[in-house]
Amino acid sequence: MAAGLKTVILLSFVLAVGFLLIILSCALWQNWLPLLVALTFVLAPVPNALFSHCGSDDISSSYESSAPVDLGRFITATFVVTGFALPIVLAHSNIIDSRACAMSIAGGGLVYTTIMAYSAAFSQEESEYD
Amino acid sequence: MSLPRVNYDPRRVCVNPFPEITLGRHRRTVGVYLAGALFALANWTFLDAAILSAHAKAPYGAPPDAEPPVHVTFVDWIPGICSLLGYLVINLIDKDRIKGDEGFGDARAVWRARLFLFIGFAFMAGGLAGSVTVLVLKYVLNGYPEQFKYYGYANVSQSVALMLSAVVLWIAETTSSEYEYNLTL
Repeated sequence: MAAGLKTVILLSFVLAVGFLLIILSCALWQNWLPLLVALTFVLAPVPNALFSHCGSDDISSSYESSAPVDLGRFITATFVVTGFALPIVLAHSNIIDSRACAMSIAGGGLVYTTIMAYSAAFSQEESEYD
Repeated sequence: MSLPRVNYDPRRVCVNPFPEITLGRHRRTVGVYLAGALFALANWTFLDAAILSAHAKAPYGAPPDAEPPVHVTFVDWIPGICSLLGYLVINLIDKDRIKGDEGFGDARAVWRARLFLFIGFAFMAGGLAGSVTVLVLKYVLNGYPEQFKYYGYANVSQSVALMLSAVVLWIAETTSSEYEYNLTL
């Protein structure tokens, strides 16, 4: 229980740092376009989470993943690459500063890592009680 | 030097086996993720060129208020749209219909599925050929500086990455079905 509590506190701290980086990358240059990165990375795990409940039959759950699960993974990968590519593209055409680009990428990576680590750390406990 | 061979296979040819990438049953997952990543990368490569063109300045030697000589116009979008259409068509086909020997019975369904597959691949190949055409006719032959030829290169790499994405997705889906086939046999 204590380890879980420590994990939650650590993950929330990392999440706050990630959002801080993204918001700083917007506010320091008065250009709020990098905020889209936060939106992208927050939305990235949503298709996986939605579609993962579609294809789990009793028969073919372990070996074969169905088409909706694949679609969710495809959209998730698209979102993640979009989150990394968007600041690079914006910085390439001088819309945002290159330092803002680096900060928003780092912040977005932290946010996504936090979400992934949270779901990985607490998924076993849920499946135990199912 | 007599190391015990951990997994000795009598059919093997070389002493040192080739590095065999067996991702096991995660192969499909990795393939689908990779295909999605390539898909996004392809589209962002082209969108990068389009955004760069919209915010383009004049080339370095020119006076600062001069117009850039060329922009990304609708002509540049056409190969990408063709590739995307082909991508959709290829992935909307039921993969079991293509093989035809699974006992679906309806020979016309197999024929139609192969026709649609052909149309899809023709769209993708047309997109690739169109992007090369745009690169050559619009950018290379007019002799624009390297800063503007990048639009054409981005167009070509979008088509190539879309084709790679389709191939990876296809491989990921068909290897899974072969694995299942081996299980049921």
